[in-house]
Amino acid sequence: MCIAFLALSILTLVLSLEYPYKDRLGPGPAFFPVWMSIITGALSLALFFQTTWGKSVVDLTATLLPERQGVWRIIIILVALLGSLALLDPLGFRISLFLFLIFLPLGLGGVNWWVALIFAVAGSFGVFHVFYYWLKVPLPMGMFGI
Amino acid sequence: MDALQYWILGFSVATLPLNLLYAFIGCVLGTLIGVLPGLGPAAGTAILIPITFGLDPLGGIIMLAAIYYGAMYGGTITSVLVNVPGEAASVITCLDGYQMAKQGRGGPALGIAAIGSFIGGTFATLALMVVSLPLATFALRFGPPEVFALLVVGLSLVTGLSGRSMLAALIMTFFGLMLSMIGMDPVRGAPRFTFGVPPLYDGVGFIPVVMGLFGVGEILLSMEKPVLEVIKTKFTDLLPKRKEWGVSAGAIGRGTVIGFFLGLIPGIGAIIPTFLAYVVEKKVSKHPEKFGTGIIEGVASPETANNSYANAAMVPLLSLGIPGSPTLAVLMGAFIIHGLTPGPFLFKERPDVVWGLIASLYVGNVMLLILNLPLVGLWAKLLEIRYQFLYPGILLFCILGAYSMNQSVFDVGVMIGFGVLGYIFRKLDWPLAPTILALILGPMMERALRTSLEMSAGDITILFTRPISAVLLAVAAIVLISPAIRLLGKRAGKD
Repeated sequence: MCIAFLALSILTLVLSLEYPYKDRLGPGPAFFPVWMSIITGALSLALFFQTTWGKSVVDLTATLLPERQGVWRIIIILVALLGSLALLDPLGFRISLFLFLIFLPLGLGGVNWWVALIFAVAGSFGVFHVFYYWLKVPLPMGMFGI
Repeated sequence: MDALQYWILGFSVATLPLNLLYAFIGCVLGTLIGVLPGLGPAAGTAILIPITFGLDPLGGIIMLAAIYYGAMYGGTITSVLVNVPGEAASVITCLDGYQMAKQGRGGPALGIAAIGSFIGGTFATLALMVVSLPLATFALRFGPPEVFALLVVGLSLVTGLSGRSMLAALIMTFFGLMLSMIGMDPVRGAPRFTFGVPPLYDGVGFIPVVMGLFGVGEILLSMEKPVLEVIKTKFTDLLPKRKEWGVSAGAIGRGTVIGFFLGLIPGIGAIIPTFLAYVVEKKVSKHPEKFGTGIIEGVASPETANNSYANAAMVPLLSLGIPGSPTLAVLMGAFIIHGLTPGPFLFKERPDVVWGLIASLYVGNVMLLILNLPLVGLWAKLLEIRYQFLYPGILLFCILGAYSMNQSVFDVGVMIGFGVLGYIFRKLDWPLAPTILALILGPMMERALRTSLEMSAGDITILFTRPISAVLLAVAAIVLISPAIRLLGKRAGKD
């Protein structure tokens, strides 16, 4: 993680050099990014040295992966989220979220399909009705206009 | 207008039927958010911002504030019945609350939490009415150097108190500041780090980031072990035994004072007041060894401190424009979405909003008490919703909330991306609060620093030669350096 932050700070520093550091009125658009990236880079290096060679008060490199069942559930959720992201504009809120709400409970398992169906219809069409018509929140209609 | 007239104005606005309805809906939704595992108050408040779009600014803010302090109480229910805190401030309540539930005394535990929350919240609101106006008037004297120094203090407190590793917390703060630089330069208005992507011209959406880090990230983490074991308890008897009232009264009094004073410090967060209240209670107790075995003062004190803190934390937000926690940062974001900027000028320009909101806190505390004592059994039932439906339902509202901010699918993508990041950060025990606060305060901070340097023709000593900013920066330096000094002292002691 320290390396990731170090890389981010170097990238930010390089990109910020495209903007003026100073102009006739005072500090320019690059002023803040340059200093922020330098400080972030220095802190990342310090933490890297602390965790690698020094005495760190906390284990910042703890294991990321959960047990197999947990990994499976997390993957299902991410697939459902990315699917809804891809389908939200082309299919509209109701259809994409209907698919999201039927896929996710069935994917997580232990659920009757007809209960999932009722849940998906109520969650997608019901929520759309409340937010779009009652609360006047604009939501995507999709290519089919529904 | 004097203070009394402002109070009257506030109550006349807050008790309008529509505003009472908004406060009530907010209390119900807030308690719901607090109860539901996988949805903390920050993400919950962020998700529910869209429902306030059609409301007038004051109505919307009243509802969101009610969601905020409602969630503070709701978190107690899961702490007591499931041993899983609904939000971070309820962690300490698990110790005695859960033990009480196991002994069949979940009812009195939740009852005393509701009563303590009411007393603590009400006292803090009254004190807020007294403190906020003088503080806001004082803050009107602040120029850009003082504003910058104040923001540094706020961020350094969040950083210094939010994690076990100061370096990790500092990196997370600077990560938030770096995220805040994406979009339009706050001084010159030129685009920065936008890579030709139009949605980035408005910057990284604060609300999708909160939903991602605190909502999606939390759900992904919960997915590792999603099944909760709810303790069945009877809610026919919600009040403590007669002999418990005495110790509870003392605990509630101490919790109120601790919560209020710590709430005044910007950036301290809700966890420290509850822990401190618990520790103090243990110190003053005649039987400290019983703490953790299910005694009522172990619930009364932190729960009172929690709500006292929640109301008092409105002081730095309203008077200085500095949010003390991620949830208050979301509330600040909601203010901005509704065209209002929290801070001293709001007292001058929109006293109806400021005093209406403060009075609504008082009204909301009464509502929460009425709502929570008789309905505690109903809230407990919600914990039995199966995770296969609960988490998809929460994610549905996350998608809806993220999209509806700017009608942008890009924001949904930002939410998902930060959800994965939030999961990783939580797994590695990196604190999230500094990133959120830095993200919302970053543009203000940059503007204040650069304007200060323009005022002084590039001379950085302007920050140290003006008395208020010098004192504030000294405070920030002490906060940031003290852990290192303590560590060095410990090592020297060992040697």
